[in-house]
Amino acid sequence: MKLNIEGLLVYFPYDYIYPEQYSYMLELKRTLDAKGHGVLEMPSGTGKTISLLSLIVAYQREYPLEVTKLIYCSRTVPEIEKVVEELRKLMEFYSKETGEKNNILALALSSRKNLCVHPEVSSLRFGKEVDGKCHSLTASYIRAQRHSNPSLPSCRFYEEFDAMGKQVPLPAGVYNLDDLKDFGRRKGWCPYYLARYSILHANIIVYSYHYLLDPKIADLVSKELSKKSVVVFDEAHNIDNVCIDSMSVNITRRTLDRSQANVETLQNTILKIKETDAAKLKEEYRRLVEGLKEANVARETDIYMSNPVLPDEILQEAVPGSIRTAEHFVGFMKRFLEYLKARLRIHHVVQESAPQFLKDIFEKVCIDRKPLRFCAERLRSLLRTLEIADIADFSAITLISNFATLVSTYSKGFTIIIEPFEDRTPTIANPVLHFSCMDPSIAIKPVFERFQSVIITSGTLSPLDIYPRILDFRPVTVASFTMTLARTCLCPLVVGRGNDQVAMTSKFETREDFAVIRNYGNLLLEMSAIVPDGIVAFFTSYTYMENIVASWYEQGILENVQRNKLIFIETPDAAETSMALEKYQEACENGRGAILLSVARGKVSEGIDFVHHFGRAVIMFGVPYVYTQSRILKARLEYLRDQFQIRENDFLTFDAMRHAAQCVGRAIRGKTDYGLMIFADKRYARADKRGKLPRWIQEHLTDGSLNLTIDETVQLSKHFLRQMAHSIHDISNCNVQCFCQLNLSQEDQLGLSLLTLEQLQSEDMLQKIAQIAHQA
Amino acid sequence: MAALSEEVLLVVKRVRQRKQDGTLYLMAERIAWGPEGKDRFTVSHLYADIRCQKISPDGKAKIQLQLVLHTGESTNLHFSNESTALKDRDAAKDLLQQLLPKFKKRANKELEEKNRMLQEDPVLFQLYKDLVVCQVISAEEFWANRLSINNVDHSLSNNKQEVGISAAFLADIRPQTDGCNGLRYNLTSDIIESIFRTYPAVKQKYGENVPHNMTEKEFWTRFFQSHYFHRDRINTGLQDIFSECAKQDEKGLKSMVFQGVKNPMVDLLSLEDKSLDEGYGSNSTAPSTSNTNKTVKENSNSAIIKRFNHHSTMVLAAGSGKKADAPNGQACETSSTDGNSRDSDFFQPPIKKALTLYDGTESQTVCFLSKRNVIEYEDLHRENGKKTVALNLKKSDSVLSGSALCTASCAIAALSPGGVLMQALAQQAINQMVPNDVQGELKHLYTAAGELLRHFWSCFPVNTLFLEEKVVKMRSNLERFQMTKLRPFQEKVQRQYLSTNLTGHLEDMFQMAYNKFHAWQTRRMMRKT
Repeated sequence: MKLNIEGLLVYFPYDYIYPEQYSYMLELKRTLDAKGHGVLEMPSGTGKTISLLSLIVAYQREYPLEVTKLIYCSRTVPEIEKVVEELRKLMEFYSKETGEKNNILALALSSRKNLCVHPEVSSLRFGKEVDGKCHSLTASYIRAQRHSNPSLPSCRFYEEFDAMGKQVPLPAGVYNLDDLKDFGRRKGWCPYYLARYSILHANIIVYSYHYLLDPKIADLVSKELSKKSVVVFDEAHNIDNVCIDSMSVNITRRTLDRSQANVETLQNTILKIKETDAAKLKEEYRRLVEGLKEANVARETDIYMSNPVLPDEILQEAVPGSIRTAEHFVGFMKRFLEYLKARLRIHHVVQESAPQFLKDIFEKVCIDRKPLRFCAERLRSLLRTLEIADIADFSAITLISNFATLVSTYSKGFTIIIEPFEDRTPTIANPVLHFSCMDPSIAIKPVFERFQSVIITSGTLSPLDIYPRILDFRPVTVASFTMTLARTCLCPLVVGRGNDQVAMTSKFETREDFAVIRNYGNLLLEMSAIVPDGIVAFFTSYTYMENIVASWYEQGILENVQRNKLIFIETPDAAETSMALEKYQEACENGRGAILLSVARGKVSEGIDFVHHFGRAVIMFGVPYVYTQSRILKARLEYLRDQFQIRENDFLTFDAMRHAAQCVGRAIRGKTDYGLMIFADKRYARADKRGKLPRWIQEHLTDGSLNLTIDETVQLSKHFLRQMAHSIHDISNCNVQCFCQLNLSQEDQLGLSLLTLEQLQSEDMLQKIAQIAHQA
Repeated sequence: MAALSEEVLLVVKRVRQRKQDGTLYLMAERIAWGPEGKDRFTVSHLYADIRCQKISPDGKAKIQLQLVLHTGESTNLHFSNESTALKDRDAAKDLLQQLLPKFKKRANKELEEKNRMLQEDPVLFQLYKDLVVCQVISAEEFWANRLSINNVDHSLSNNKQEVGISAAFLADIRPQTDGCNGLRYNLTSDIIESIFRTYPAVKQKYGENVPHNMTEKEFWTRFFQSHYFHRDRINTGLQDIFSECAKQDEKGLKSMVFQGVKNPMVDLLSLEDKSLDEGYGSNSTAPSTSNTNKTVKENSNSAIIKRFNHHSTMVLAAGSGKKADAPNGQACETSSTDGNSRDSDFFQPPIKKALTLYDGTESQTVCFLSKRNVIEYEDLHRENGKKTVALNLKKSDSVLSGSALCTASCAIAALSPGGVLMQALAQQAINQMVPNDVQGELKHLYTAAGELLRHFWSCFPVNTLFLEEKVVKMRSNLERFQMTKLRPFQEKVQRQYLSTNLTGHLEDMFQMAYNKFHAWQTRRMMRKT
């Protein structure tokens, strides 16, 4: 249907629309109009993706000079693929309606591992191996060497692409990863480099966060993207952690040892080159004197996005003399390594700020701040000059140099913690230096500064006001949308007590209590008897789950659960968990029913959807607080308090609740889905916890469903499940991204949670829609 | 003693029952006990009737075996031979253990088979209603010959549905303390099968060791003692035969993990587009989680988790995988029926040929069991075929269900010129004179009567006690049928169509049977006196 969103003609590729989608588009349009940033929360399964895409594409067509590009960032590869498929649908609709072939180029970009078509390289299993191998075939100096020695191996796909691919741009259309590979195979071009090259002129790019947030990758891939882009971060509830992760560094003894080896290799190579090709080193020296002028010019002329690892100041200066020659630099690095080694030789925990660290290093080994800042850039230059093929081998020394640059660049927002051993095993020395970023805004700052509109959206962003604060930006729109439902398809329940009236809680003091564990077990057992197909249960941490599973096993609870369903358990090993997951789905599929025991903050809770019968109930055992004894966390909490005036408890609760919401939200992936959400901890009943749940869950959490006993929960669940089982009708084509087999019939939803164009145009409906958006 | 012709598998002397000394016999199909000095059994149970056996605990002074029947009754057997009592009991128990499951399955299978036959064959169902539901003959008699016929062709299309495995089968082995520091595990054949299907490695071990190296009991004792069964599989000793199983399981799990998953949506490895390089990130303290800095407890905990995953996977695989090695023991297990069929080879049931008479309108089927009779009839046919044109005889190899049985003489009588059938044929086509519902009723009567007569005639020659009893019973059955079914029909017909004698032929057949019975009885009386 064609919509009129405040004067903008939007093509929407479905015949029906959810009221909240309309409302979402309204807010989005206002954000784009204002050229500002936005924070929008809308439950998963209500068609966020298609709303975003259709509005932004329409905007792009209407105002081609205002918005030139859409950068859509998602988290996982399957999600990226899903976005591309939605986009394809939209484009087909466009060409059908307008009758003309549209000239929009949209493509997905992923790592080499997912895009490589080279027969040998692509067969490697790990991404790092693929990258390294690719590099050893395609690096510029390798190719230069090949001129003199043609017997060296090469990648014909890259050669072909380099020779031909850049002349003709990729034809307009929608390309997912497989399309790119097909195209690459057909033409004999490398799909990865083709995609990387094509994103510069593509209208829509879909890739993962890291390409924009991780400075190491962003510098390679995304720095030349146009300023007039709209950036969308989907599933952004964890974006602060992604930012922090990309800027934090851990250094262990092993890292140092490997760096030591790297330095030695460098030294030998330098000696060798000096004998054979001294001119090369001189040339490098000259370049370094001139400084990083080129980069500076590019950034000033607004071609490059800034890189937090490459701060502005160093662009204007030449590389300091003390590290300009190769030998001096290697010597410098050696000294730095020795210093770090000495620092790791400690018996008690040390925590200090970056300036303290710099002061100490100056006093002890006379290393100045200035050369440290150039470390990363200087090493890169050296590696280039020495023509070292396999960069992957030098990851350790690269890590050290990045650390050097970061620690000397940022005096705020980072902390250094040196721990001599892990807390759990105080007898085993395993010193680690954590250089930990506490301020997520550092990594994301270039994005907000460079691009005109950044949209942060997810199914769970509550409380909305906290994201602008921790990411340090000023949004023009902040809104939360609920899910309009023809039937109440979610049933959140807070179980606070066992049948013996003992409080159920994962509070630290009582979590190992026998009664608590037993009650948790009884809850699982009771639910396993009444819930059909799949149940997913989340624990607060892996160790806690291990302990509980062990004591359930001893008490014979698991045996009884097994009478009802099969049990699968997440393990720290991703491959094993994948297998367990697949078997879990198989068991749900063949009607046997299964239980998946999993961990909040784990991979399962973040990336796997349990649609329909794969998750008819989610049980959240306890409140998933982060491990509060960690020093890194303590430092971060302190920083948040001092810098952003966010109280520790507020942040911890916010963090716990967003993970809890993520976990329970796994089961509801659309309006036709239904599921129980069981919060098994009495603390959820408190207003400060409840209030931090997303609005679409909170709405259904009545006073009657708080602080229940197990028996009451079972009764309510039975009632709910029976009700849900009734109202399932035939198939309808609704516009949720995942097409569902069991659907409410359209008539049931029409007018309430599903609208036709006529209904949309009616006056009172528009009024209703206006209420859906909840301005924070 | 008739039962002695059965195969006796085991004889145990000095077994007491109700404080009486006697001998216990385990035969191919039943277990029996007779008091000492007498040559008959006072206790006799078919294996199929036995629900389970129970034995007295090892420590007890009295060494007993209890048989619990499906009816709930039970029989206690006390092994009283002091020196060998335990051995005797165990021998009996072991044999029973092997035999009972076989019969249990057969009982269920038979029931299913009967049900299926009735559902598939409406004529048979009608017959069943006429004869069994109205209590003319007992269900057992009704099925006596049918099943064995059909068993043959159904074992070919052995489409037995496979039974899944309960996930909690290990939990069902509830260990019980026996009061003196020991544990007792109750194993049933179902559980053993579940264990084998879920853990092929154990099955393999079983095949290797039982019975060459150890007895079955010893094997299972070791199994339960083994760490393999218990939770922490880490500390499996080397001398333990199951340590290898644990390793095999581990290997199997690893290979499954290595194969990876097919569904990309659940593949956690490829979920992340670009993982952080080593050394970056806030809480990844370098994956140095080698086993050394894990405590023993943690290790055993993660072993439990692994085991659960493995167990569930195996149960799932055992339930869904269509294994090629389907139990083929069932195929050759075509049970022979009760004693009479073996003895009366003259009337061996397999029907090779049948003759069908068509008269164009109503089809009457007469089928002959004995080969000899068929030949006779064929001769007759050749003669008759030349003379009478009206009679259209057609030979067919197929057995028509619900076929009526009568002896050749009876058929000849009926078919000879002037016989009942010929009369009917000579007159006008029967369907023009008799309404359809009466025709239908007549058909039912014919099939029912035929079935009864078949039972009756199959008793001859009467050479066992059982057959004697049966023939007497069948005669009374015939009489009862005549009284309750045939008479009312006759009256009804006579009220409406005085002229036609529809049931004459039926009555003749009955009369023939009575004559035969009478002749046999007088002969027997003569012999006795």
